[in-house]
Amino acid sequence: MRGEVAIVGYGRTPYSRAKPGEPVLNVDEYIAWAADLALQKAGMSKNDFDGQGLGVSHAEVAHTVNWSAATAENLGISPQVLLRADQGGASAASMLIRAAAMIHAGIVDRVLVVGADTPLNIPSVAPGLPLSPERTRGVYWDFQGPFGVMGASAQFALVQTRYMHEHALTSEQLGKIAVSARYHASLNPGAIYRKPFTLDEYMNSRMLSDPIRLLDCVPIVNGGLAYIVTSGKTARSITDKPVYLRGFGEINNYYHGSRALPDITTTGFVQSAPQAMKMAGVQHKDINFFQPYDDYPFIAMMTIEDFGFCNKGEGGRFVEEHDLSFNGDFPMSTDGGQLSGGQPGGAIGGFMPLVEAVTQLRGEAGVRQVKNANIGAACGFGGIPYGRPGRSCISLILGTEP
Amino acid sequence: MADLGQSKPLPDITDLTRPFWTAAKNGKLVLQKCQRCATFNFHPKPWCIECGSRELQWTAAKPSGTVYSYTVSRTVAMNSPAWAAEMPLILCLIDLDDGARLYGQVTGCRAEDIRIGMRVDVHFEDISDEAGIPKFRPALQPATAG
Repeated sequence: MRGEVAIVGYGRTPYSRAKPGEPVLNVDEYIAWAADLALQKAGMSKNDFDGQGLGVSHAEVAHTVNWSAATAENLGISPQVLLRADQGGASAASMLIRAAAMIHAGIVDRVLVVGADTPLNIPSVAPGLPLSPERTRGVYWDFQGPFGVMGASAQFALVQTRYMHEHALTSEQLGKIAVSARYHASLNPGAIYRKPFTLDEYMNSRMLSDPIRLLDCVPIVNGGLAYIVTSGKTARSITDKPVYLRGFGEINNYYHGSRALPDITTTGFVQSAPQAMKMAGVQHKDINFFQPYDDYPFIAMMTIEDFGFCNKGEGGRFVEEHDLSFNGDFPMSTDGGQLSGGQPGGAIGGFMPLVEAVTQLRGEAGVRQVKNANIGAACGFGGIPYGRPGRSCISLILGTEP
Repeated sequence: MADLGQSKPLPDITDLTRPFWTAAKNGKLVLQKCQRCATFNFHPKPWCIECGSRELQWTAAKPSGTVYSYTVSRTVAMNSPAWAAEMPLILCLIDLDDGARLYGQVTGCRAEDIRIGMRVDVHFEDISDEAGIPKFRPALQPATAG
């Protein structure tokens, strides 16, 4: 399936922190806005998707039953195929794989994939930290909330503490990732936080859940993203800049070691990345930039390692020894990532690595453009399992040639 | 949806999970033990995640373990504001001696003293008329094995 499908359009709405006085858009409006941007980029109309595919990502804000079909109804599209992903931050990547398989099978020729969320519109008992109803019910919540688990920061802090016990990693190395993301955000008008900060400011930021600091944490926003994937043939007929899906790999609910007592310092990218690279026929040296799912610098660092850019345990040193900026020797999170760009809910943040990879490969990244970008890697990372780091780990290799 | 307003969250107790909460209320730690492969499962599962057997039996587990990892939460996040009174809160992943891992708060320990490998013993806190919850504290006896 290498290079059989291509992305021909993408959209990313402005994000909002829902400050007083700002207009409050709902999730349907953000979906339509993102889809509109993607359709304009592709030179297509919504009617091109009648009888084709529509993919809808999960959202945490309250929505109706039959959410994907209801979204089709909202948009006035009559698709033959509906895709619906509930893989958190891996949803965008997983729908690309599902869409590619549908196109490969000849069932449809093209799929419009949308995702939006308005977590800041969810009534919350903890300001700025919304808890949707589905996060606070069921066995998964009952064995965490009452036990004193303080959300993703605490869950990832536990992984990071264990990692730092087993491997060499300094806070300064992680700080470099955060500082670099903010630098890229300063070059991206769409990022929510754009004022650069220094490593000292990172180190002095308030400790929230040791060893995770305030500037390690992703800021939550409202917003929407979308992309359009078509057969290679259709892509070449409508754009001179198709971005081909060259390879993909996916693993869900990965255990490193035993199920009862796994090693939590290794993620499923150790499986999905080699799978994607083998399919794409590329090696690490061929990859011009890396767009990890960067909700925390530590997660981005582990993903670098597990993707195989360095040996396990050497991710901190790798970060230290490389220039992560768009014009450096290891361009990473070139849009400011989620860390400084903002996360429109955990599920929708997963569109950002993919959309930025496509933006770079089409040469549309403006002042943050990676020179000669022909092959890029992007990740989906979704959900936090009990006592482990990531439920879904998806690796994508994209390129300007099939 | 759990009521997260004024008090710390309480579990919605179901037939699947009731034995755990009831035992904790009575000062005992019980986990689902697979009758086919002897794996202890936690949190409660519909079948054994190791072998797929639905023959899971609530079984007393040794009330001791080792700190696998820790964090010190200094601010409430994605949980009830009622936790604020307990900050800083030491949250650990505890490897029980019987081979299951769980989230657990460690009490009776200063934040700067918590360590990976620390031996801990279970104690229980009443959280409602129906439920108790296991917490941990540093073991009185020094570790004999890691």
